[in-house]
Amino acid sequence: MRVLLTGLGGELGTRMAQLLEERSDVTEIVGVDLVPPRRRLRRSEFHRIDPRDRERLVGFVTELEPTAVAHYGVWEPDSRVSPREAAELTEACTVAALGGAARTGKLERVVVRSGLEVYGRGRGRPLVPAEDSSPAPTTPYGRSCLDVETTAVSLGRHHDVPVAALRLAPVVGSHVPSPLGRLLRLPAVPVPAFADPAFCLLHQDDAARAMVEALVRAYDGPLNVVGPGAASPWQVVRLGGRVPVPVAGPAWEVARRVAELAGAPVPPHVLELMCHGRAGDGSRAVDALELGDLRPTQDVCTELFEWATVTSIAVTRANVA
Amino acid sequence: MSPGEPVADTVADTVVSDYGIDLDRGQAPESLFSLVRRRLTGRYPIDPFGADPLLMDLTAPPVRMAVRVQVEQGHRLPDVGGALIVSNRGLGILEPAALVVAVREATGRRLRVIGAPETPVLGPIIRKLGAVRGRPDDVASLLRAGHLAAVPLAPTWLRPGAGEPPRALLAAVLGFPVIPVAVLPGGPAGLPLRPWRVIVGQIVETETDAAPRDALVAAELAERVRDAVGALLAARG
Repeated sequence: MRVLLTGLGGELGTRMAQLLEERSDVTEIVGVDLVPPRRRLRRSEFHRIDPRDRERLVGFVTELEPTAVAHYGVWEPDSRVSPREAAELTEACTVAALGGAARTGKLERVVVRSGLEVYGRGRGRPLVPAEDSSPAPTTPYGRSCLDVETTAVSLGRHHDVPVAALRLAPVVGSHVPSPLGRLLRLPAVPVPAFADPAFCLLHQDDAARAMVEALVRAYDGPLNVVGPGAASPWQVVRLGGRVPVPVAGPAWEVARRVAELAGAPVPPHVLELMCHGRAGDGSRAVDALELGDLRPTQDVCTELFEWATVTSIAVTRANVA
Repeated sequence: MSPGEPVADTVADTVVSDYGIDLDRGQAPESLFSLVRRRLTGRYPIDPFGADPLLMDLTAPPVRMAVRVQVEQGHRLPDVGGALIVSNRGLGILEPAALVVAVREATGRRLRVIGAPETPVLGPIIRKLGAVRGRPDDVASLLRAGHLAAVPLAPTWLRPGAGEPPRALLAAVLGFPVIPVAVLPGGPAGLPLRPWRVIVGQIVETETDAAPRDALVAAELAERVRDAVGALLAARG
């Protein structure tokens, strides 16, 4: 299996490459991204290509002739790039990488990263949607994920290739740039004054493992991948020893701006999670991909608060010398 | 999971536990000190449907004191795994409380009552106490997670007999056991002069080879469940 891995430079992409390297049925792993991988990879090949350079990316993929595509090139707003750039990069990478791979005629399977955000939240929406709940995203990131799924499924139908769309719960963990993780680690965290909605999380290693399993099994269809159990804003803030700041109505806009000034921008899908929760029924993925030992949401939360805080080191010309 | 495959066979029988607390099986309320400490440190479980199991356990004793219940054929309620109880509803005020007490006495499990409102403030509070919204998607997820849930037939007010069954909801839970239950007031006009009688019927098995949300199978199931609840009410003696 010759695997094209988009988003190899991210933490999840790098972790997935490490897992693929352990498999003897994966003969070649070639990754592309804007930034290089942050861990040592033994037999993966990395190419730094900006997906907005469509001609270059399509040419590269066509020449590579991958038999499998693991599409991690889905940028979450305010994780590594701004919301506008995230949508732009996601769309460009999806169209160029999947289109280029399909054109070769060698493609056998595709796995794309998506998110529970595709189901949307609010009145009339299920609290714990399963895969057969109809997607109706209510945030830009949810719409971006659904666009990725739609493009991949359409390509799969046209070329008779199985396409697995993994709707991941918010991925939080050490080294993962996550707007939710940054918000929850602030010393004082805005929480809904009159609600305490449940949300599920997913550990980075489990997210990578699910992608690998879906790829090697050539799964066809959407799957929710969710850490067991749940947390809630009030509960998790107290778990981390942070100060909960109750917020309601228009005060959320003020809280967002203050959080952004403190280094934790709050994109719409994170605000939606804090106000309306975010959960999903992950039982089908556990069964289909044999993911029986996913890390519970509460463990992911605990690990979130166990990271060492960033310590600023005063650097002067004298002590550098 | 392929269409037609029995849903109940593909999921675990038990639900995940957090901080040593089973999310399905009730336990004696913890001491006030322990409860306060858990709240301050955030070391308490939440389930994806918004329930707070420790709060559910805390409210169980006063509800049991207020609503006395006599359970008949309680052994028919499953000890583990997802299942749906369908019961009659007269005025619909105390029946859910009587069912919660009855299930806890018979199996030790926390019953999840379907029908939480979607209103702000009140809805989340009721969900914390274990109620679930009536959306078919949510109820199917609840049973797949291994919980025991209860949904009432349409209210009959003061008329005797069983009301209209929730067809859309039954279509979503095909493959799971459905248990008809009759809830009868202890005294005339629902006055709490004697304990409530909760009579558990035989499990109505659903066709495991039916396609998910098969409308015809769901309609047949709905009629069988309504007849079963009606028969329990007619035989109350």
